[in-house]
Amino acid sequence: MADWQIDLIKVVFIWVWALLIAVVMTWVERRASAMMQDRLGPNRAGPFGLFQPLADGIKLFTKEDIIPEKARKILFVLGPPLFALPAFSAYAVVPFGDKIVLGGKEIILQVSDVNIGFLYVLALGAIGVYGMVIGGWASNSKYSILGGLRATAQLISYEVPMGLALLTIVLLYGTFSLREMVLLQQGTFLGFLPNWGIFKQPLGFIIFLVAAYAEANRVPFDLPECESELVTGYHTEYGSMRLGLYLFGEYVNLGTLAAITVSLFFGGWALPYVDMSKFLGPVAYGIASFTVFFLKQAFFLFLFVWVRWTVPRFRYDQLMGLGWKALIPLGLVNLFVTALLVQLTI
Amino acid sequence: MDLYFIVFAIMAVGAALFTITARDALPSALGLLTVFIALAALYLHLHAPLIAIFQVSIYAGAILVLVVFVIMLLITPDEELENVQKNMSYRILGAFLGAYLIALLAVGTKGVQDLVKSQALPEGFGHPSLIGSMFFKEYLLHFEVASVLLLVALVAAIYLAKKKNI
Repeated sequence: MADWQIDLIKVVFIWVWALLIAVVMTWVERRASAMMQDRLGPNRAGPFGLFQPLADGIKLFTKEDIIPEKARKILFVLGPPLFALPAFSAYAVVPFGDKIVLGGKEIILQVSDVNIGFLYVLALGAIGVYGMVIGGWASNSKYSILGGLRATAQLISYEVPMGLALLTIVLLYGTFSLREMVLLQQGTFLGFLPNWGIFKQPLGFIIFLVAAYAEANRVPFDLPECESELVTGYHTEYGSMRLGLYLFGEYVNLGTLAAITVSLFFGGWALPYVDMSKFLGPVAYGIASFTVFFLKQAFFLFLFVWVRWTVPRFRYDQLMGLGWKALIPLGLVNLFVTALLVQLTI
Repeated sequence: MDLYFIVFAIMAVGAALFTITARDALPSALGLLTVFIALAALYLHLHAPLIAIFQVSIYAGAILVLVVFVIMLLITPDEELENVQKNMSYRILGAFLGAYLIALLAVGTKGVQDLVKSQALPEGFGHPSLIGSMFFKEYLLHFEVASVLLLVALVAAIYLAKKKNI
């Protein structure tokens, strides 16, 4: 196989994989929330209700497609894809496994190992907000505009602490490439802990996680949607599959953020203490590293759901206060301390 | 001329024209977004991925988001931008500044003939660490002057925001 064919297969595979995770996540969300609230949740379609997302998809696709009369038509149509596409594209730099040898060829389980890795993820996260803004503005409804407005302000506010937390990681590892970062997290730290980012940057991890929840518009930071005040915020006027794309894009976003968390702070595809490549064959090792990465990612995806159904929503001024008065100063202090420590140990 | 350059150059110029001719404020801002993304694509083509990413994350992701925020605060989709600038002196000043910038651009194109000769890329060209060391070794003064400029803007912003309470 030529290189471009391998790349194509990787792109298609990751695209489908991201879709699949998002689809299953809609089911997990509903079942887990039901479990936490002592309900049953959707359990009729298929075993454990697993075909529920499929039924939902068919429903969304066959619904009447309504565009409000006073909406800006072109922008209204453009909104949902602009929201979903960046979310998918961010998967391109995620190292979802180490490497696999197929047909005598070593294949790195990552679509593209660019040396600016996570800056690319940050940039795409920033682009994703335009989908919400355009949708909110084009709907020409006060709830939608307020939702879009909140989305922009929230994104600007939480991009800063997220960037600060990520900068400390760059200082620590001295590279932007996600793959290299994962490789640098092998072995042990202080003799007994796994050499993971979280043990070296506990504060950075907390700041990153909080900012990630805000970036993904999840409860407790889902102010752009905020059902109790804004109906459903920026996608109030949307229906059928256009709404589906918004909801779906959110889950793809969660998948990306969980994957980034795993690769930056939790050692990526590697198991702690055990070097899988020593006793597994090249093919089995590829599959095993992929599985380990997925399991870690699945944990963080579940954490997103867990938090959503546990913590109540912030008020808007509390959200801004937390971002500007707590996370940014903390992030700056963390950055200074890390810079000093790195300078002293070099 | 390769196809990649032509596609994105046309995209950038077209979107820029749309930005200054659009009657609606938000579509105009989205035109600017397209310009930024097309420019980022061109930077990528010039083997400068870091600059491309900065272009997207800073200009498109931070500055333009602020612009959009202000537009959404002030203008609803029903309103169209009128030709609001009636002050003649501003128009004349704008014309002079525009002419000056175009002249500057024309002078700048004189250097293009040097660029046509293709050269081999230096080792590690466009790598983040190389750009970092260039920043802090060769261009340290420029870098620091720019940071002082930002500091001045920051102090001014705080002063403006605080003025009422004094």
